Amino acid sequence: MTDWGWVAFAYTLVYGTLIGYVTSLVMRTRRANGEATRR
Amino acid sequence: MKRTIEVAAVGSVLIACVAGLAVPPDSVQGDLQRIMYVHVPSAWLAYLAFGITLVGSIGYLVTDKLRWDRLAGSSAEVGVVFTGLALATGSIWGKPVWGVWWTWDARLVLTAAMFFVYLAYLALRRSVDGAERRAQRSAIFGIVAALQIPVVHFSVIWWRGLHQPPTILRPDNPQIDPPLLFALLLAVFAFTLVYVALLNRRIDLAVAEDLLTDAPRADEHVAGAAVTAPQLGDWR
Repeated sequence: MTDWGWVAFAYTLVYGTLIGYVTSLVMRTRRANGEATRR
Repeated sequence: MKRTIEVAAVGSVLIACVAGLAVPPDSVQGDLQRIMYVHVPSAWLAYLAFGITLVGSIGYLVTDKLRWDRLAGSSAEVGVVFTGLALATGSIWGKPVWGVWWTWDARLVLTAAMFFVYLAYLALRRSVDGAERRAQRSAIFGIVAALQIPVVHFSVIWWRGLHQPPTILRPDNPQIDPPLLFALLLAVFAFTLVYVALLNRRIDLAVAEDLLTDAPRADEHVAGAAVTAPQLGDWR
């Protein structure tokens, strides 16, 4: 793999993980709030 | 305020990403050195996040207020994410530069140990029932676990291995050219804003989870109504 390939790999991993983690936080919060409202 | 921080975090990350890809390459490692602009901020945030966990743990033991426990637990989860990223990007950087994905270097081993210790901290939080009991046990764990943070940081000085010694946080002047230093500090600033935004979101989730735990379930009322005493008329 080229140097830029390794760089792209690292950046994709970092920013992809952060986007995924933010999405999971938003969804978990919505689900918890929704369930608390239903009770 | 939270929304402002989130917008600032996204904007600064975009700028830091462009800066990291646009600054001149390193004279020794070439373009591979650009991995530093995501690896070093991730490692810095691991320290910061676990340091905040320590602050939250002490805060809970001193005040008995659950908001400190939420701060500690939320920061630990975000810290585990950044520690994982630091390990992964270090591994990706190590393969083309060192020739291996992993080596038993003191910094690498101790960072991995820190990662697993805080995973255990998160597991402990899930395994204890009762908010106060969970907070108390987690606080003690959080304080003891923080003892390893300076050991991880100074490991590159105390035990020389493959990992390079500190570049910026060193007694003499930083050993890095100004444009590269600027891009690195920009990335550290941007990632710190991301950490604050994530921490806010995670604390919101912790509050929602606590409300969920405290709220009585609708079917509990139904079950309670089902065990009413039989009417006298039923026995006649």
